Amino acid sequence: MVGNPNCGKTTLFNALTGLRQKVGNYPGVTVEKKIGITYSQHGRPIQVIDLPGAYSLAARSPDEAVLRDVLLGRREDTPQPDRIICVVDAANLERNLYLVHQILDLGRPVIVALNMMDMAADAGVKVDAAELENELGVPVIACEAVNGRGLVELRLALSRLELPLARHRWDVPGPIAPAVAELQASLRDHDGRPPLIARAEALLLLTDFDTVRVGGSRPLSARTHEILQQWRQRWAGEGTDWSAALIRSRYDAIDRLCRNVIRRTRDTGPSRSDRIDAVLVHSVWGWLVFGAIMAVLFFSIFTLAEHPMNWIDGHVAGFGAWVKQSLPSGDLRDLVTDGIIAGVGGIVIFLPQILILFFFVGLLESTGYMARAAFLMDRPMSKVGLNGRSFIPLLGSYACAIPGIMATRTIENAKDRLITILVAPLMSCSARLPVYLLMIATLLPSDAVPAGTKAGIMLLMYALGTLGAFGFAWLFKRTLFKGGVPHMIMELPPYQPPRFKEILRHMFERGWLFLKNAGTIILAISIVLWCLTTYPKHPNPEATATEQIAQSFAGHAGHALEPVIKPLGFDWRIGIGLITSFAAREVFVSSMGVIFGVEAEDDDTQPLRDALRSAHWPGGAPLFTPLVCLTLMVFYVFAMQCMSTVAVVKRETNSWRWPLFQIAYMTGTAWLVCLILYQTGRALGY
Amino acid sequence: MPAGSVGRVCELTGDESFCQRVREMGFGEAALVTKISGTTTSLCLVNGTRIALNHPAAMSILVEQIPALGRVDGPASAR
Repeated sequence: MVGNPNCGKTTLFNALTGLRQKVGNYPGVTVEKKIGITYSQHGRPIQVIDLPGAYSLAARSPDEAVLRDVLLGRREDTPQPDRIICVVDAANLERNLYLVHQILDLGRPVIVALNMMDMAADAGVKVDAAELENELGVPVIACEAVNGRGLVELRLALSRLELPLARHRWDVPGPIAPAVAELQASLRDHDGRPPLIARAEALLLLTDFDTVRVGGSRPLSARTHEILQQWRQRWAGEGTDWSAALIRSRYDAIDRLCRNVIRRTRDTGPSRSDRIDAVLVHSVWGWLVFGAIMAVLFFSIFTLAEHPMNWIDGHVAGFGAWVKQSLPSGDLRDLVTDGIIAGVGGIVIFLPQILILFFFVGLLESTGYMARAAFLMDRPMSKVGLNGRSFIPLLGSYACAIPGIMATRTIENAKDRLITILVAPLMSCSARLPVYLLMIATLLPSDAVPAGTKAGIMLLMYALGTLGAFGFAWLFKRTLFKGGVPHMIMELPPYQPPRFKEILRHMFERGWLFLKNAGTIILAISIVLWCLTTYPKHPNPEATATEQIAQSFAGHAGHALEPVIKPLGFDWRIGIGLITSFAAREVFVSSMGVIFGVEAEDDDTQPLRDALRSAHWPGGAPLFTPLVCLTLMVFYVFAMQCMSTVAVVKRETNSWRWPLFQIAYMTGTAWLVCLILYQTGRALGY
Repeated sequence: MPAGSVGRVCELTGDESFCQRVREMGFGEAALVTKISGTTTSLCLVNGTRIALNHPAAMSILVEQIPALGRVDGPASAR
């Protein structure tokens, strides 16, 4: 299943296969192939592959290369597809047909899914599907994937044993034909390409002279390379841009075809999207709306989540008390209450806030606002040497850095992509949210403190991370990856009403993932941490909890780290939390629950916050002073503490060099900034 | 180009890869473009599609304004 970005491929894929791949109203949601199963009318299973969107087979970014390589049969993990469903946006038929035109050259059976017919009608465009089928010679199915229309017809077309091959209605322009023929023959004879693949690749090489980009990982043979260079030199001597002529020739053919297929029923004037854009991308109003959206997001996290959080907190405490009454005293009871319930329960309480964050992110993605945010941010991004396209991965990293880093595959420039990968984890992800919330609650314990103040501190942390990402992008662009501001051309999709079903589904999927982490990684770490804080046992059975932890395995590890973190105001117990956070940042909260022995029987709904507030240094000075809480939050803003992100960066950069560099520069910055903040704060008397 | 004016693409300059991508998106020579808004980053309408261009990209697309449809005479960039 192929098509231009944002033409509804994944919606159609989900409708056909019953899967629930993420859908968004902005280009570049799908960056890797997705596989599902649908069934023919006779019940025969058909494997469907959803490929990333592309404007052309001439791939210029890693996600587009996936589409090209699968279609040309270059991927070892994916056989060349038997038939190709070309999904086209009926409202933008001419541009969408450019990719279809290239694919028809491959000589494979093709079905055209003419999607978004409803939107085309709204735009005053009537597309004659029967005439398009007649012109192309392949089945054309009119459909509206969102409403499920056309799915039966599409399944019927897929069920046909034989599909007609396209009637070729495009001839390579005369002056270019000899070059295509010569390159095709060489690719076939010297590079082992099948005849039609050789022709398609010859056309790509003549449109894009970058042989590595076009040829993929297999280098071209010396003979093919020589022929390409000869033609290039000849054309340069003639002063004619034949590569541009090739594209123009295709568009001329498409233009002739569309004259019989498209009828403009009326001049609709400015569309609804145009009218909305007049405000949302306005140089003043646009920024005000952007700021208001962010403010509402953070305010909602504090206000809307309060009651469900109290409800969860109460039930966790009640459950802990019940377990404590039911089990006989001993290590097993302590493990369940102080290890598992305190650790996992301390994390589960943040579920409502995580859900609210993902609801807002889903709302922005579904309506088409993400692309507008990238448009607005292009100017500030250009100040640091990047463009607005890099902002979509960064914005996505507010939810989680992993999909954000994967979304960088849409960035064409390799250096800019690497910079975006390196700075993306600085954007505060949802895993940091529990840490910020715990520290803000410890910092501002009174319920009398307005939610706006707490939201303001939270917003400050997010702003600090964003500024850090921009600052380091600026630095990297001027040192490691020198270069100018890259060109950006990006399609802004029409606004669509939010699809609440999709948003809620995605929100609950993320919520479930969060709970799954709590039930697996955090559960395991809580048990291990409980063991490490409980053993070896203190020789004196009457020893206090603090004395017990101090001489435990975890205590020794924390004490070993303490000299490094003491200048930041952190003691060995916080040190243990920092170490365990490398599994996942939110583990810090459960670690504190285990280390400070917060027992779930407590009637107070904020036992951990109280325990932190009453923690002291050996000399009696309070540990979690406002300055330490703030410093700890800043540490979490900058430090690289997520093993999953490290693994994804390694995979995306194909090297250990960059993830190790990322750990060093981010954690080094965190330490330095916290040192300056804490020592300055102390000098000022805080 | 001022907002609301219409022009025809005359020439694409600069990076070859960018020029080819612009052409593949139907924004090549002779395409009609309507400027919607923007100064540093521009928003244009090409073949019914809203396209965002940053400053370096817009400066690479030379446009001839169409007096009959546009508001101002003379050559300009897509910016």
